[in-house]
Amino acid sequence: MRALNIAATGMAAQQMRVETISNNLANMNTTAYNARRAEFSDLHYQQVQRPGTINAVDGTVLPAGVQLGLGVRASAVSMQVQQGTVAETGGALDLAIEGNGYLEVTLPNGDAAYTRDGALKVNGEGLVVTSDGFPVAPEITIPEDAREITINADGEVYAYFDGKVDAQLLGQFSLGTFANEKGLEAMGSNLYRETEASGQPNIGQSGEDGRGTFRQGYLENSSVDAVREITQLIEAQRGYELNAKVITAADQMLAATTQVR
Amino acid sequence: MDLAGYVALTRQSGLAKELQSVANNIANLSTTGYRREGVVFAEMVQALPTEGGSVAMTEARGRYTDELQGGLAQTGGELDLAIEGEGYFTVLTPQGERLTRAGAFQMNGDGEVVNADGHQLLDEGGGPIVIPFEARNIAIAADGTLSVDGDPVARVGLVQPLDQAKLFREAGVLFRNDGESVPVEEGRVVQGFLEESNVNAVAEMSRMIMVQRAYEYGQKLMDQEDDRIRQVVRTLGQQA
Repeated sequence: MRALNIAATGMAAQQMRVETISNNLANMNTTAYNARRAEFSDLHYQQVQRPGTINAVDGTVLPAGVQLGLGVRASAVSMQVQQGTVAETGGALDLAIEGNGYLEVTLPNGDAAYTRDGALKVNGEGLVVTSDGFPVAPEITIPEDAREITINADGEVYAYFDGKVDAQLLGQFSLGTFANEKGLEAMGSNLYRETEASGQPNIGQSGEDGRGTFRQGYLENSSVDAVREITQLIEAQRGYELNAKVITAADQMLAATTQVR
Repeated sequence: MDLAGYVALTRQSGLAKELQSVANNIANLSTTGYRREGVVFAEMVQALPTEGGSVAMTEARGRYTDELQGGLAQTGGELDLAIEGEGYFTVLTPQGERLTRAGAFQMNGDGEVVNADGHQLLDEGGGPIVIPFEARNIAIAADGTLSVDGDPVARVGLVQPLDQAKLFREAGVLFRNDGESVPVEEGRVVQGFLEESNVNAVAEMSRMIMVQRAYEYGQKLMDQEDDRIRQVVRTLGQQA
């Protein structure tokens, strides 16, 4: 009775969907989080009767044959790349990215990672770092006596100093875009790593070559739509129950078979 | 030969296959672009050695694919495409061109439009669709024309097989077309939506209940056949 196994693949798929939804809901307030979506595709087909077989009874050729499917599998959990809304925070080092692009950060092992979480801080040495303390590349140092930091749409960081009229340029943030953002590997902590699927980052000045721009004093909200997630959750739950019902039915049919004397 | 038992057996094994197809449909309740499958049973008449006698058995003979339009679910993804009405997208797999209604596409590292399994989506001329790296805004019109920042770059081709019976299912919500296919002119591509599986859960459930009961009837018939033969043996045995 293959129906048992097929329904089991269906239950596993719906369970994975619930897991994806619960992760989305858990990240409802995570800065710049992109909702994920579980995608499914059907499994292989069993050829019960090949099309084109000659009918044993009257010699005609069967036009269609019989193919029976063997269930479902998860094909991808893909990131829904979309701009989240931006919320005003007023923080001088809170940067929302409007449009495409990621900030490059340097991990302690020297590798590059990418993030859209622009809640930046200054560490003890004056270096601009992410919430986890990873420095942003290119490195920008903010002197202790700097006041009133302004960052323009191009990512240029200016600061005023006592006794000077003009603002001093401290550095410039750049943005990296990818051919396929969905191909980035999520590392947790709002960080992503480049993969073969995402392609090489195209790092450069914001606002050029399809890159987005910066907005100081704002942060990008999570793009999770709670209403959509909940309706999906209901669907997934019912789908799970339907598959469980199939298992019950297959079980009862097997029971009927064993009861034959 | 215990013919009644064998006739019931052909029905039983057919019902087991039908339940398998129900199970597969329900398992694919959330599979984008999935088409419901069904099994067609046919009578198989077998001549008996006695003059003019015959017996009809049943056999799973054919399959059908439900062509009903699935619901469209809004996703907002710019490369999520749904087809409203007839037609299939063409994707290139290592085994050759395949048709699909599953329109969850994305770009790969080279800017080509591919599905989740990495198969390229083909345009109406049969070539891959490449989106320039600096693209900001991708728009796909109802006729399949894909524009990048306002400039049309390609047209997503929709095709329709001439003979549905030559369409075979393959893993990955793909169909292999062994016959001819023709371009669809009046197909509508909807951007930002995905076509849901066209499996109707209620219909599948009632189909499942029917299969289950029919199976139990068959079992009952076998039970009664068994009783009848026992009785024959007992009665004949007493007379001897």
